[in-house]
Amino acid sequence: MSGLLENTSTRAIGADIGRVDGPAKVTGTATYAFEHQLNAPAYLHPIQATVVRGRVREFDTRDAEAVPGVLTVLTHDNAARLADIGDAELAVLQSDEVAHRGQVIGAVLAETPEAARQAVRLVRVHYEERSHDVRFSAARTDLYTPGEAEDDEQGDLAGAMASAPVTVDHTYTTPMEHNNPMEPHSTIAVWEDAGLTLYESTQGVHSVRSTMAELFGLDPERVRVIAPHVGGGFGSKGPLHPPVVLAALAARLLPGRPVKLALTRQQMFDLVGYRSPTIQRVRLAAEPDGRLTGIGIDVTAQTARFKEFLEQAGKPTEVMYAAPNRRITHRLAALDVAPPTWMRAPGECPGMFGPEVAMDELAVACGVDPVELRVRNEPGTEPASGRPFSSRNLVACLREGARRFGWQDRDPEPRRRMEDGWLVGTGVAASTYPTGQMPGSVAAVRFEDGHYHVRIGAADIGTGAWTVLTQIAADALGVPVTAVRLRIGDSSLPSASLAGGSTGTVSWGSTIVAAAQAFRERHGTAPADGAEARAGLPDNPNRERYAMHAFGAQFAEVRVHADTGEVRVPRLLGVFAAGRIVNPRTARSQFIGGMTMGLSMALHEDSVVDPRFGCVVNHDLAEYHIAANADVVDLQAHWIDEADPYVNPLGAKGIGEIGIVGTAAAIVNAAYHATGVRVRELPMTLEHFLA
Amino acid sequence: MDFLSPSTWEEALAAKSAHPDAVPIMGGTDVMVELNFGRRRPPALLDLTRIPQLRDHGPDDGYLRLGAGVPYTTIIERLRDRSPALAQAARAVASPQIRNRGSVGGNLGGASPAGDAHPPLLAVDALVELASVRGVRRVAAREFYHGPRRTARRDDELISAVLLPEPAGPQSFSKIGTRNAMVIAVASFSLALDAQARTVGTGIGSAGPTPLRAIEAEKFLASEFDWDGAASPSPATVTRFGELVASAARPIDDVRGSAHYRRHALSVMARRAVSWAVTDYRKEIARCA
Ligand SMILES: Cc1cc2nc3c(=O)[nH]c(=O)nc-3n(C[C@H](O)[C@H](O)[C@H](O)COP(=O)(O)OP(=O)(O)OC[C@H]3O[C@@H](n4cnc5c(N)ncnc54)[C@H](O)[C@@H]3O)c2cc1C
Repeated sequence: MSGLLENTSTRAIGADIGRVDGPAKVTGTATYAFEHQLNAPAYLHPIQATVVRGRVREFDTRDAEAVPGVLTVLTHDNAARLADIGDAELAVLQSDEVAHRGQVIGAVLAETPEAARQAVRLVRVHYEERSHDVRFSAARTDLYTPGEAEDDEQGDLAGAMASAPVTVDHTYTTPMEHNNPMEPHSTIAVWEDAGLTLYESTQGVHSVRSTMAELFGLDPERVRVIAPHVGGGFGSKGPLHPPVVLAALAARLLPGRPVKLALTRQQMFDLVGYRSPTIQRVRLAAEPDGRLTGIGIDVTAQTARFKEFLEQAGKPTEVMYAAPNRRITHRLAALDVAPPTWMRAPGECPGMFGPEVAMDELAVACGVDPVELRVRNEPGTEPASGRPFSSRNLVACLREGARRFGWQDRDPEPRRRMEDGWLVGTGVAASTYPTGQMPGSVAAVRFEDGHYHVRIGAADIGTGAWTVLTQIAADALGVPVTAVRLRIGDSSLPSASLAGGSTGTVSWGSTIVAAAQAFRERHGTAPADGAEARAGLPDNPNRERYAMHAFGAQFAEVRVHADTGEVRVPRLLGVFAAGRIVNPRTARSQFIGGMTMGLSMALHEDSVVDPRFGCVVNHDLAEYHIAANADVVDLQAHWIDEADPYVNPLGAKGIGEIGIVGTAAAIVNAAYHATGVRVRELPMTLEHFLA
Repeated sequence: MDFLSPSTWEEALAAKSAHPDAVPIMGGTDVMVELNFGRRRPPALLDLTRIPQLRDHGPDDGYLRLGAGVPYTTIIERLRDRSPALAQAARAVASPQIRNRGSVGGNLGGASPAGDAHPPLLAVDALVELASVRGVRRVAAREFYHGPRRTARRDDELISAVLLPEPAGPQSFSKIGTRNAMVIAVASFSLALDAQARTVGTGIGSAGPTPLRAIEAEKFLASEFDWDGAASPSPATVTRFGELVASAARPIDDVRGSAHYRRHALSVMARRAVSWAVTDYRKEIARCA
């Protein structure tokens, strides 16, 4: 592989470089989807179902159409027919069926956003309503095993539980949670010359292009998707959701005219997915010294009846701890709800809550320090698969974290420390996230005007991709960062995989490395003007041989007020082993951003569904709390030097998601240490501490 | 929707009289949210931001007169000594951006039981000044809140000011929320002692259909408090005060907290408020001695 792995040969990778898109963002010149200046746009506002289940019998649109400025009302009657691509969520306005409350059943197109919105309010819809069921529970008798997650059993967990001297067997829950990127999902759609242009807030221009081309029966060449800057996604802008389809359907009715759609915050709670609630029964069987003989997790999650999505919360248990007897199961409750989707670290994030709290309970039961307990259960190979790890430095993270946090003097007894009326405690939990790689990326390098123009249709959703890909290109070409001109965020650039699964930097970066090598091989170090080369992401045979994951350890200090139960988190410290860190500045933002979101999950985030109406009642930022600045005090992210020769030519692992994994467990464990009260459901609120 | 934008107070009163259903807008931090969420669609908005006297503040015959439109930021930065409890409440409101715009007049106009300004106004026995083309009247805050979001203000009236008595003893405000900032109170409590009259005032927020007083608790503490030496009240007295405050609440369960928690939190805040009051009172005695 390239010399990129030897630190001495690199200058840009690893350097603390400010964001190349920073000045444009802070001066307001970076253009987000809705802000592209196009001539005479029309505005779209969705009509949403006010019943949970049934069908639309009739629209009465007379009053709506009379609103000055209204151009047209779009419903399943006049919407274009779409190809059936096997994704019911995207079959927008293809029938009169209502499958969940808030579903898009139409839209108004008008000269102004205000007119569109007002008209939507005046549309009267008559439904044939059917009974519905949105109650999520592990006691349902209709739970089923999803095809993608057959029960995974090794040995005999029940036997291990029956014979183990120490066991933990508890149920842990995480609530429904909603992604709230700052930029709402927005689209400008233009039909012109039998083609479609989309300015879209997305995690992947190419996947939007291919999906939309398929849906609308277009040659992909006739679809162009533009997204130079994206104001956060966290997974909710990964898979496509109905709004972009709706915008394109509307634009189809107004050829040549741009149609703009920006969701309101409240619409985001209905239309762009959420994290499924989970119920996790976790079982641990152990020797008195804490060595596990059995580990199991039985996960119940919810899905939409009309589209399956599984929150694979059992996944991390495949990876974390050694134990001969193992069992991982997933069950789904199919409800009359909108489909769940990815939310930062889907699977891993909720799936490390139950097990990492259970590990703390086991540490207490055995009288073993929780750091030491994890060290004792460190596996030699990946427990579920038996494959060796390409690198695994959980223990190093735990030890380094313990050192930095000041863990060594910790008195394990709960409810022993009181300062000023506040009970104080500390806790730890582990983090993990798979090191993936997505196929399908191609990068092009061209030398022109003294610069290397590097082109790849990647997405920067606030992660720093603009910056780190520039750094990688510079080192791969052996030139200063200033000699590289990067272009991303446009489907007219070579194909790129999604910004998802923490795979962006490694997939696109490795592709750029391959393209740079192809360029140098073909054109040498003194290329002629116009010299060009391109290459796709090479296969990595090591992926078959090794288990590849990043790991981390998170430490929390929690204060719980003895009288009121108020919870504060004065200190959070994470140490991560995530391979080569390409840019410490952007990496730190990813880690602390994830940890902040983990704190938010621990203390605040909770989408409350009213079972009668099937909707999220706290569907705005006044009621759906996310952590505020004042909730975050001393937040630190560190990492250890980790050289992994197998993962990819960069030696890098993804870092976008691991920061949220384990945070909530660390906080809950610290709260136990502070108070002696064991919280097994999220969010952890003041009420938990007042019996 | 009409937009009425008077530039003088007289014009504003005339406009309100001519359009009693016009919705006044000051900082807009409640009104704009309601419009945006489609909670209401008034026939007219009455913009009060161009009227200078609504932003004035100054002494008024033993009171601090606070124009209805004075933003929270001004109260925090300039009026802390003259309105300690209200300034503490102002600090607990939202975020800097909202505090730069939001006003006590707006808090009173909306009269949400969770509004942070109400408990201090009740505790210090403030007056609310209401004006219309018919004249001006002053209503005690303690008489102002009639029901959920219903107040003594008549349709043709505007709130011109609140009048806060000169502080005559320790005052405090505390609020419990589910996060550290930008939070609607789960419960809030304000306590004010009047050393001259030897009376106690209380205000309870977010624990009933309106902001409330704990009258029994006020009487109890007034009779038990050591007005001469500020000796620490007995634990039993403090506990009893907390219980009386909690029992005055009429809370409900909602997403922010249970009724049970609210009562509990009120008793805790009430007990804390007593201990702060004792400490402050002693400092005051020491300063005067
Ligand atoms: C993000 C956010 C956070 C918030 N956090 C808090 C908080 O922590 N605590 C809290 O108490 N509130 C909070 N609020 C609510 C709001 O900021 C306060 O109620 C504020 O005091 C309203 O003042 P305003 O001047 O903005 O009122 P406006 O929105 O202008 O008006 C509010 C109401 O009062 C009426 N009104 C205004 N002026 C007059 C007048 N002179 N005469 C008669 N009626 C009048 C209006 O018609 C309207 O009904 C928050 C709001 C937002 C948007």
